[in-house]
Amino acid sequence: MELDYLASVLVSSLSSASILLIATIGLAVVFGLMGVINLAHGEFLMIGAYSALTVTQLGLPYVLSIPVAVLVTMAIGAIVEVLIISRLYGRIFDTMLATWGLSMVLYQLAVLIFGTVSPGIGMPQYNIQIGDYNLAGYPLLMIVVAIAMLVFVYLLMTKTIYGMKARASIQEPEMAQAIGIDSTRTNTLTFAVGCGLAGFAGAVLLPIVPATPSMGFAFVIKSFLTVVVAGPVTLTGSALAAIGLGGGSSITASFMTSVAGDVFFFLVTAIILWLYPLGISAKWRHKL
Amino acid sequence: MFKVMNATGGYGKTTIIHDVSIQIKPGEIIALLGRNGVGKSTLMRFITGLIPAMAGGVEIDGVKAPAAVTKRARMGLGYVPQGRFVFPRMSVIENIAVAAASNGHDVKKALKEAMDNFPILIPKANDLAGGLSGGQQQILALARALAIKPKILLLDEPTEGVQPSIIDDMAGVLKRVNKEQGISILIAEQNLDFCLSFAERAYVMERGKIVTQMGIDELKGNKVLQQELLGV
Repeated sequence: MELDYLASVLVSSLSSASILLIATIGLAVVFGLMGVINLAHGEFLMIGAYSALTVTQLGLPYVLSIPVAVLVTMAIGAIVEVLIISRLYGRIFDTMLATWGLSMVLYQLAVLIFGTVSPGIGMPQYNIQIGDYNLAGYPLLMIVVAIAMLVFVYLLMTKTIYGMKARASIQEPEMAQAIGIDSTRTNTLTFAVGCGLAGFAGAVLLPIVPATPSMGFAFVIKSFLTVVVAGPVTLTGSALAAIGLGGGSSITASFMTSVAGDVFFFLVTAIILWLYPLGISAKWRHKL
Repeated sequence: MFKVMNATGGYGKTTIIHDVSIQIKPGEIIALLGRNGVGKSTLMRFITGLIPAMAGGVEIDGVKAPAAVTKRARMGLGYVPQGRFVFPRMSVIENIAVAAASNGHDVKKALKEAMDNFPILIPKANDLAGGLSGGQQQILALARALAIKPKILLLDEPTEGVQPSIIDDMAGVLKRVNKEQGISILIAEQNLDFCLSFAERAYVMERGKIVTQMGIDELKGNKVLQQELLGV
């Protein structure tokens, strides 16, 4: 059935877009909100995935391994912020060099500890029927997860005292201090939150994307481009960019080839950045 | 009593203010006068701790102020910088709320007080601060500083680029909070009329130093002195 096919393509493309968005939200906080170009961001995804994998292998249920992954990546993120990032705020190229170095260290550590190939965990088996087409349930669940993550980060950043302090510290660091916000500590926490979100992504995507030392690399390029296309209203912008770019490339891929899908992604990104150099949300009047 | 003792500081290795000492009694309103570039803003930043002290320090109510900007703010130092520096992608409400919350004050009460003081902010409450006019931003920066319940308020060129009606509102509120809450105010200004309208005493700066201090009445009556000191 033609219509069933279209519907299944649409749903699975939305699921691909959601997977991109899940991998991107942490970066939307660290890069979009804080302006820190963390080239080791993909490695935090990887750390999240390996944390979840290790904990699962030790016998804990998969669902419980996700919060463990979040805590591990947040802790490592906080340490990285204090030792490296906090000394380099406002020095973009130095930050890039330092975090690039960090990414190599983390990658090699993963190779040493886990080897280059590691077992995936079985995808929770349930399927959803659309007409004649059978779609795996877990990737579709990612649509719900992506929405939940978006809502969580939005509420965290706009409705809590911490969120207001975080945005104030990022927008006007000196004034934030001058009204009594401990912006050093707030920035550490915000960076850790961004890393924790990456860890969450690595863990929650583990059934779809198996843990390998180089897995972060696959995501990080598209994630960076998504946040750049999003522009200053980083959260809403990233959601739209992920749906447009991720969904569009997935639709293209299902009608043509996966290479065509990637070509679509990069070509459309280039065109959008040519038309809107500061991102699609440059003129929006929204908080996030 | 609020004291600045032998303040010496600047940017990098360049010293801009030399050995500046001022004293402000509780509830006093002091004007800091001087031409452009004599170091008024630098002195303000020295007091907040935003530039490190090369020598000298600050004392609030007999307690030596720690170096950290955050701690000074929590000791009751409110600051409205030149250029306002409101948080642009936060709403008017959030700008005020975050200041109150960061100092452990009740947010709802702080917002009510701010809106009572500055009704001009009410229709803009949910707008992003970055979209406000210059005058509205100035009012917001003042409301934000008052939300931390300061003992001493530092105002750096608060009337710059602000329309006259808003300047009058601002003067009214400043007089009131000074009287009702006993907040001391140190105000750096080029607008002499604004200062003369409610300051009690004035320090005059020249090339990074305090050259003289005087009662405001002395300054009011003496046009020649005004001309000489300020070029107005």
